[in-house]
Amino acid sequence: MVKKRSIWPYLLVAPAVLVILCVVFVPVINAILMSFQSYDLRRPKDIGFTGLANYIEALGDAKFQSAFFKTIIWVVAGVGFQFLFGFMLALLLNKSFKGRGVVRAVSMIPWVTPGVLIGLMWSWIYDGNRGVLNDILMKLHLINDKIPFLAQDGTAFPGVIVTIIWQGIPFFALMLLAALQGVSTDMYEAADIDGAVGWQKLFYITIPSIKNTIFVTALLRVIWVANSVDVIFNMTEGRFGTLTMSVYVYQKGNALDLGYASAMAIIMALCLLVVAIPYLRSNFREEG
Amino acid sequence: MRSKLFAKKTMALTMAALMAMGALAGCGSKSEEPAPAEAPAETGGDQAEAPAESTGEGVTIKFQYWADNTDYSQLMQDIIAKFNAENGKGITVVGEEAPWDGGSYSENLFNAKMGGGDVDVSTWKLTSTPLFVNNDLLADLTPFIDAWDKKDDIDQNMYDVMKQAGGSDSIYVMPWNVQVLYVYYRPSIFEQAQIEVPTTYEEFLTAIEKCTLDTDGDGKTDVYGFGMRGSNGGQEPWGSFVHGRGGSFEDMTTAESIQGMQDFIDIYNKGFVPPSAAGDGFQQIIDNFKSGLTAMTIHHTGSSAQMVETFGDDVSAFPFPAGKGQWTSMGDTETVIFESCENKEAAFEWVAYLAAGEGQKMWCEGTGNVPVSKTVQAGDFFQNDRFMKASIDGQSYAGILPILDTTTEWISTIWPETMSQALTGKLSAEEAMNTLQEELYR
Amino acid sequence: MKKQTGIKRIFTLYLPLIIIMLFILFPFYWTFVTSVKPEEELYGAVVTYWPSHITFEAYRKLFTTTVDFLTAMKNSLIVAVSTTIVSLTVSTLAAYAFSRYRFAGRKFLMCVFLCNNMFPTVLLLIPLYSIMRSLGLLYSHTSLVLSYTTFTIPFSVWLLLGFLNDLPMSLEEAALIDGCNRGNAFIKIILPILGPCLVATGVYIFMQSWNEYTFAMMFTNAETRTIPVALKNLIGQLGVQWDLLTAGGIITIIPVCIMFFFAQKRLVEGLTAGAVKG
Repeated sequence: MVKKRSIWPYLLVAPAVLVILCVVFVPVINAILMSFQSYDLRRPKDIGFTGLANYIEALGDAKFQSAFFKTIIWVVAGVGFQFLFGFMLALLLNKSFKGRGVVRAVSMIPWVTPGVLIGLMWSWIYDGNRGVLNDILMKLHLINDKIPFLAQDGTAFPGVIVTIIWQGIPFFALMLLAALQGVSTDMYEAADIDGAVGWQKLFYITIPSIKNTIFVTALLRVIWVANSVDVIFNMTEGRFGTLTMSVYVYQKGNALDLGYASAMAIIMALCLLVVAIPYLRSNFREEG
Repeated sequence: MRSKLFAKKTMALTMAALMAMGALAGCGSKSEEPAPAEAPAETGGDQAEAPAESTGEGVTIKFQYWADNTDYSQLMQDIIAKFNAENGKGITVVGEEAPWDGGSYSENLFNAKMGGGDVDVSTWKLTSTPLFVNNDLLADLTPFIDAWDKKDDIDQNMYDVMKQAGGSDSIYVMPWNVQVLYVYYRPSIFEQAQIEVPTTYEEFLTAIEKCTLDTDGDGKTDVYGFGMRGSNGGQEPWGSFVHGRGGSFEDMTTAESIQGMQDFIDIYNKGFVPPSAAGDGFQQIIDNFKSGLTAMTIHHTGSSAQMVETFGDDVSAFPFPAGKGQWTSMGDTETVIFESCENKEAAFEWVAYLAAGEGQKMWCEGTGNVPVSKTVQAGDFFQNDRFMKASIDGQSYAGILPILDTTTEWISTIWPETMSQALTGKLSAEEAMNTLQEELYR
Repeated sequence: MKKQTGIKRIFTLYLPLIIIMLFILFPFYWTFVTSVKPEEELYGAVVTYWPSHITFEAYRKLFTTTVDFLTAMKNSLIVAVSTTIVSLTVSTLAAYAFSRYRFAGRKFLMCVFLCNNMFPTVLLLIPLYSIMRSLGLLYSHTSLVLSYTTFTIPFSVWLLLGFLNDLPMSLEEAALIDGCNRGNAFIKIILPILGPCLVATGVYIFMQSWNEYTFAMMFTNAETRTIPVALKNLIGQLGVQWDLLTAGGIITIIPVCIMFFFAQKRLVEGLTAGAVKG
């Protein structure tokens, strides 16, 4: 570890910082400023400083409150299952078997699929009249009447969550698979000698060895999923109980009520920061 | 300690960078100003540009449009090519296709124009007019139209609608084509249900009920009377129900308006429409009708070609019948010229070509939309088509939603959301109508 | 590794693998079937699991009509590859600095990187457009590469940081003691070990830029538009052109999968191909 003063680290991070400064710095500052104004481009003559009015309005907005809780479910269920399936897949794909390369390649498909197509394809599968899911369930005699999955309250939210899980599995699978390559085989051999069984090796060797990757990927995914709009928007447009904070922000942003949308976005970013802080603290503490 | 110090330095540095960026990019606070950087160059420039045209020097007009399918996309390219070849004034139109994006076309265009985008002419929906006019983005077309030799080829009523949308006596929007909604029906199902084409609103409701059929006797509905559009764009057919009871958009909280809403909810709850109706948009109502799942649905001539392709003679249309009131939605597509356009004269040549020239004929014949040009309307193509006839019959009572700065959001978010809550029983008809009224006139 | 017995292998490997793969692949299968179904069958009352007759008409249309999918693919490839190269290089450098050096402002910068992507892009569009226009980058591939790198660098830095922190430090320290300088140690020791992680991060960057829609729609024109915009153009007011859209989806997916098939070989080579073995 190098602690002495050196110009090197600054040179190494400079390009990354520069790119970010050039592109998003001004727009983000602009958005923060907008959040303190009545900034509705449909009424440009009324634009003016209003202090915390947007924030107060957002906190009292029943739709925003419900979106807050929806977002928690969306993120916990979405990222949780993505991780679970992704980790399982990574462990499986780390074993050697015939055709592994092909399976690895095709397991990336959900990630390669253009976002434009994902929502539409899944809506087509869930379709209440010609959807294949209804057809399969009817053929299996699990249901008697076709269910409009995305057009009623109880099923729409689970429906979109399944879609985001599907989309996110390859990310975890790939990242964890890469991390698994760094786990030294010596430790497994030592464990074999001690007579450890599969799950013991998993919990005492594998997971501790890649814990940094697990935390980082999970955190990044939480941020990503919390901010994702296109799956929900393409499938239900936020109706039937699927309105998350990011979709609400998107709706308001699209309606060009940018002041209100910015305030909500900042509240959301603060919530995400609260999630990230424990990780950052433990990360920095470990470093000493 | 040191890191804190550095944090301060970083802040100072970033602030400096911000200022540099601000100067470089001319954005940030400037982005609020509607006038893009090149605006000063063209103020008072219409006349100044004119000589350039007459001397035959080429001018280029950047035209942005959306295409509803690949055939229409090709058609538009053909029209552009024809115009470029034949206008004789050295005008070159460059067509740029942009996605319709579920209606976000307008917002995307707005963002680009606010950021200084260089589009000169675009295809248009009336509902976005207040947004763009409030931000001074559109060129006033009134002087061009007044000086136009074909001005009278378009009905004065059309110009009035355009004026209303802009909220002043100026015309910012050039008429192009309209779509009048009517009811599609399947004659064979009507025969099966032993009913005639309804002539009143009440008969129409009865027809919906009677056409809901269990054709194979297994106790389940196989054909639904009506393909309801409960999702995006559904406010158009829904408006006909509200007016059928004598209600109006001006006051959606009257007993009549609420009754119209109640009718809409009732046919859903009684199972006369597919259970998926609350989430059905354009795609679903058309698919459901084409697959024989519904006996009637409401749309315009834009879909008539595919209907005939699917059913041949077993599909026809009638105008939405009258109850206490009568209304049908007039869908619209127009063109606009932006204030930032440097050759408005040339741009007007192009929009005029689309409104009353060869472009009008080619586009309306190719897409089945109702022309705005009286000359083109009089052509054989439009006189001999049963769907065009239903459209033209409906024209006398066709209307548009009140166009306010809230309308776009009302259409894209408020109406579908409120409707989904009303259909699923979370809101009563009255509560739903109160929300709709409040949000539109906010 | 010991050979597991047949039955155990079925339950610990094949069965779970098949279940997960079924979930992953079914929508893809359905996309493909939709792309080759004739239209009557697509809208028919009966759901068919394999088309009664296959038509590749949609694939032909993609390349011969105004969709011009080939150009879109070329653009997507240029943008995605450039973004991957730029972003991966820049992020590796930054991640290495964060992981191996302690310097003033480090924590602050790391937090900034994490927060960078918490803000929804819909609120940044107007100023971003204005920046791109002032820089003269509008309608160029560079505008997309620049905006994508902005959003992929922070995540990539964090990902690589996670990987680097999981890697044992001993190898590198040994090399340093042996008299290698830091640069040499980085190239000879870290890079080979980091191989799989670089591949994974590279794939992440590639996918993000391959699939992005909002910026692509704002910053491109007919010549430079990428796949997602071309696909979105197929959804008009008069409905979705299912056959073309799904065909486009399949054509988008397959080359990337083939590329990944070759890239994934690097995933296992990292440790074994390194100059020093553990």
